[in-house]
Amino acid sequence: MNCEDTLTTELPAAQSVAPLKLPMGLLGFEQMKDYLLISNPREEPFRWLQVKDNAVLAFVVIDPFLVAPDYSPDLPQADVQFLGLERPEDAQLYNIVTLHGNNRATVNLRGPVVINRHTGIAKQVILANASKYSLEHALPLRDADSQ
Amino acid sequence: MLILSRKPGESIVIDGRIRVKIVRVEGEVVKVGIDAPADVPAHRQEVYEEIQRNNQQALTRPKAPLPRLPLTNLPKSPKSSLAAFKKPAAALTKPVTPEK
Repeated sequence: MNCEDTLTTELPAAQSVAPLKLPMGLLGFEQMKDYLLISNPREEPFRWLQVKDNAVLAFVVIDPFLVAPDYSPDLPQADVQFLGLERPEDAQLYNIVTLHGNNRATVNLRGPVVINRHTGIAKQVILANASKYSLEHALPLRDADSQ
Repeated sequence: MLILSRKPGESIVIDGRIRVKIVRVEGEVVKVGIDAPADVPAHRQEVYEEIQRNNQQALTRPKAPLPRLPLTNLPKSPKSSLAAFKKPAAALTKPVTPEK
């Protein structure tokens, strides 16, 4: 499959929505605990972490392994226990993207949102090896003018 | 805030299970060792603060236009990379041997 095609083809907007519970919220947003993970084929590889019951607050997220192939997140044992992860496959990671404008975007590789796929419980985890990674890892965006 | 004076080599015990030891003082830098059970995370305060700030910057409105990110040169099945967390997570469960 050519990933390029999935990005450029006008697919029907088969949007999928999965509820997530972040019992501890995101750092700096501790009071907001209920989110929707929204994915839309036309927006891949980006997805949305939208605050449930609040139509104006959302974060753009991305699967970090797509943009940082050597990413090797070291999850503290406390967080593994909190999330009830028994195997690495139980976890799905999404990292928060910052859109800076001027066709620049970065992703936070230090604090991924780790989801237990089976329970929908999630937490923004500060990696034990956070210092190895960038808070603002640049995404290789395509220049909109070069289409 | 409880303020205690400690010399290098001396410790503070919190809750009977967390030991904070002053390892060394080098000028303005104090090296602190922390012995805590695996279920007690400890991070530099700056790490929390920078991630908080990053989250605040990243907050946007739903359905904001997204940039285009070509993925042709990136791995097609990244899931296998997740195995990477198995080893470090297990390594962290190893209890820290307290210094005598």
